[in-house]
Amino acid sequence: MADSSRLDEPEKVEYQEIDDSVPVNDAAQDCPNDQPNSTVQAQLPLRPVPHAVSNGTRAWDITEKFTQACSVLNIGQLVKDEYFTLFESIGALEIMDSKMDSGFLHPGETLEDDYDVLKPLLPEEVIGIMDQLLCYEMAWHQGYPLSQTLFTSVYIDKLLWPEPRTLQEAQFYRGDEPQHLGVLHHVLRAYCIGIIKCCDFVIGRITSRDYFEEEDFCTHTYNRVLFSSVPYDFVLHELEMATQFVETETESLTNAGVKSALLARLDFRRSFLMALSPDYSVQDLDRYWPPVSATLPEIETTHDLGRPVHGSFSTKIQRRLASTVPPRPVVELEFKDAFEKLSQLCADCTEAVRYTLIDPCPLEYQSFLWAFATRKPQPLAYARSYLSGFVFAGGNEVFAHLIREDLKALVFPDDQVLDPVNWTIEEPRNPMVPKDRRLQMASLIDEFTNRAMQNYLEFWTSLCQNGCRMRRMLCHSILAFDQLQSDAGVLDDDLQALTSDPQQYPLITWVYHHKLRQIEWVIQLGFEQEIYLPDELAAQYHFLSKVSETRQRLLATLLSAFEQRHSALASLSSTPELSKQIDRLKTSHALLSSLHASATGTMELATSLRQFYILLSYCRLLPTPPRPFSTPALRYELRMKPFLPLSPSEVIPFADMDAILQPCGSYTAPMADLTRMLWSADVWQELEKGIKRAREAWAVVKRMGPEAARARGVQGDWGKGVQGVLASCIAAGVAVAGAREAVEKAIEGETGAGVVGRVRERAKVEVPAASGEAGRGKRYHEWWVVPKIVKA
Amino acid sequence: MDNAQATSYLSHFIGKTLRIYTTDSRIFAGQMKCTDKDRNVILALTHEYRQPSEVAVRKAIQDSGNPAAQVPLSSRYVGLVVVPGQYILRIELEESQFARDTFVP
Repeated sequence: MADSSRLDEPEKVEYQEIDDSVPVNDAAQDCPNDQPNSTVQAQLPLRPVPHAVSNGTRAWDITEKFTQACSVLNIGQLVKDEYFTLFESIGALEIMDSKMDSGFLHPGETLEDDYDVLKPLLPEEVIGIMDQLLCYEMAWHQGYPLSQTLFTSVYIDKLLWPEPRTLQEAQFYRGDEPQHLGVLHHVLRAYCIGIIKCCDFVIGRITSRDYFEEEDFCTHTYNRVLFSSVPYDFVLHELEMATQFVETETESLTNAGVKSALLARLDFRRSFLMALSPDYSVQDLDRYWPPVSATLPEIETTHDLGRPVHGSFSTKIQRRLASTVPPRPVVELEFKDAFEKLSQLCADCTEAVRYTLIDPCPLEYQSFLWAFATRKPQPLAYARSYLSGFVFAGGNEVFAHLIREDLKALVFPDDQVLDPVNWTIEEPRNPMVPKDRRLQMASLIDEFTNRAMQNYLEFWTSLCQNGCRMRRMLCHSILAFDQLQSDAGVLDDDLQALTSDPQQYPLITWVYHHKLRQIEWVIQLGFEQEIYLPDELAAQYHFLSKVSETRQRLLATLLSAFEQRHSALASLSSTPELSKQIDRLKTSHALLSSLHASATGTMELATSLRQFYILLSYCRLLPTPPRPFSTPALRYELRMKPFLPLSPSEVIPFADMDAILQPCGSYTAPMADLTRMLWSADVWQELEKGIKRAREAWAVVKRMGPEAARARGVQGDWGKGVQGVLASCIAAGVAVAGAREAVEKAIEGETGAGVVGRVRERAKVEVPAASGEAGRGKRYHEWWVVPKIVKA
Repeated sequence: MDNAQATSYLSHFIGKTLRIYTTDSRIFAGQMKCTDKDRNVILALTHEYRQPSEVAVRKAIQDSGNPAAQVPLSSRYVGLVVVPGQYILRIELEESQFARDTFVP
């Protein structure tokens, strides 16, 4: 997953021309694996004298013979390593090609810039450089490599190369300190060191979690070491010193505004560094990010004081970085945008910390992760890694507990199976004595959690990814849960023999519910990510409605088992213990009812939208691109690919799907009874009723509230989500009414094929776009593509 | 040298470390993977070496006071490269003293 193929190596070969002074010593002959020195030395007089000898490496000039040999090769003939393929050769960088070769110099161009890092700076210039560095830092956070961002700074380059052995050595010069170096250079150096250490922490954090190199983030440091071994309090100390320098300096810093602008930047860097540090104390977790956010406004207001120093950034530094890619342009991010990203990063991280404070319940956690993933704009890679750091902080034991809690919430409410007492019972000493029933249940559940652990972890991992990756990883997770479902059957049978619970096949049910929910998410994320074209929406909504129907039935059986349990308990004489038990049952019942209502709402709304899209297709109101190279069946197969291997099969066979989607024959050449269908009040009424049922179901979800849905930690986002779906229902109702009116007017008094044409004259359909990364969409809810009917 | 001889001769260098001096006075050292009639050479795991700039040399001499001061070549890793034949000035075969089957051209 994480790209581990670091290609940068320290250069080992030295090319100084020195005399052959490799001594033939005993130590060399002690190495049994290597050919002793003496043998090689002994051969030398018989051979041409090597041109250059250094550190045990010899070289011969072969230019002439090589050229001669090449010249007699045939055209097109290659002399090559048999394992070296044409495919690989495409990746080779062509030397002396200015587009490919980052080391290529145009005639007259010099390798280095003549920018003097030691020349005196004005305080305004220091502010300008700091702000520019901040822009590059945020561009890097967005996913651009360091070589195109921060590493273009001449100041940073000087600090990092040649590689300093200590922090003290990391100066803009090497060797003795120049005389005239002013306070501002110390301040800038401290700020740069702060940035570099921040980058080190960011890389450390991101690589510690699942991430995708160059998709989420670029961790490449081009063989530069970002002060990884320098303790971070040293860096903090440098920044504090710099703050003191600025505070006490009177000579070069006369303008109070400039002075406080510098202080604000140093202050920001210090608190940012502390917030990024991997060593945090759990109790004070919520105290790291607010100070960072607090320093931001002053940076923004004082940005105009800065004066850019363009010479202090250069693309030429790329030439000296270890790089296997062609040279690329510097990424220019406006200060305004960079600042926005920075504020967003702080806000996202502040939000992520809340994860540690919400109720420790798997469904609460999931609601939180969903709310976080759907934040607009999408959280940056760092913020996501920061959050998943908390998610996976506890390791497998925490997740074993979460699985049990998850099971408890859905299938074992206050059940003897998950009674903690079961885990305290010891194995009988005598193997002939039968094991306690409770112990057997505990070991069955343990067996299940062990089996499910990996899949469960992967599921949580996918929830922490970027949107597109989440969808792809969920597709894999579905297959894993499918396998788990068939494995869980055996344990269910054993469990059944031990309990008298009315709930049958609890483990299978739990896995199946998880799987169905993930399928729904995959389809719905497809709507959010605009994977389907407008004319495919009908099929996808049909599939969605079928899956949520299955889930709704599953939840209905669970609910009836709940009611049986409840009535069994209610018939007993009441004790305080019993009433507690009934209370717990009620909490779980609320969750199931909320899930049931949302599954119903999803099913109803999806069915209605499917029907509506079919009608719109018959009216030829949806754009249909020409597809000369594919058939509907193949396209359908492609869309269903992630779900084809599932058992029981969720995918509707193409022929059935086709019959449902095209009840009156093809959209372009419909059968004669099309007009009758469009005319029929039943069709439209059914549609309206379906939308109404959907709205009612979602109203139930809303009424039951975030507590029942286990989203108390993210009440606000949850409320907005449900409100969005309700708004989508209303918008669907409006759109249906609009379309019906247009169709009725078109049909009035006339029949025949002209109807479609007249509908098209009267109405147009707008399919609202998703908001994407920027968060400026036109949908009420990202998962519900409700078309808009516009009068033409 | 006929074609068969040439092929056999050139095949010896496959996987061996070559140093290629280019017209812009850089040196590329890497494992030879492939060559052809135009003397284009593909090198893998290549490092690029560059002569220090005149300024750097002058500075080194000035700082040390020694006109024969050594300035290390600056180098970096560039990976898989193809050096077009027309820019090649000189080719050297580099061999570690520890190499087992010493082949000398």
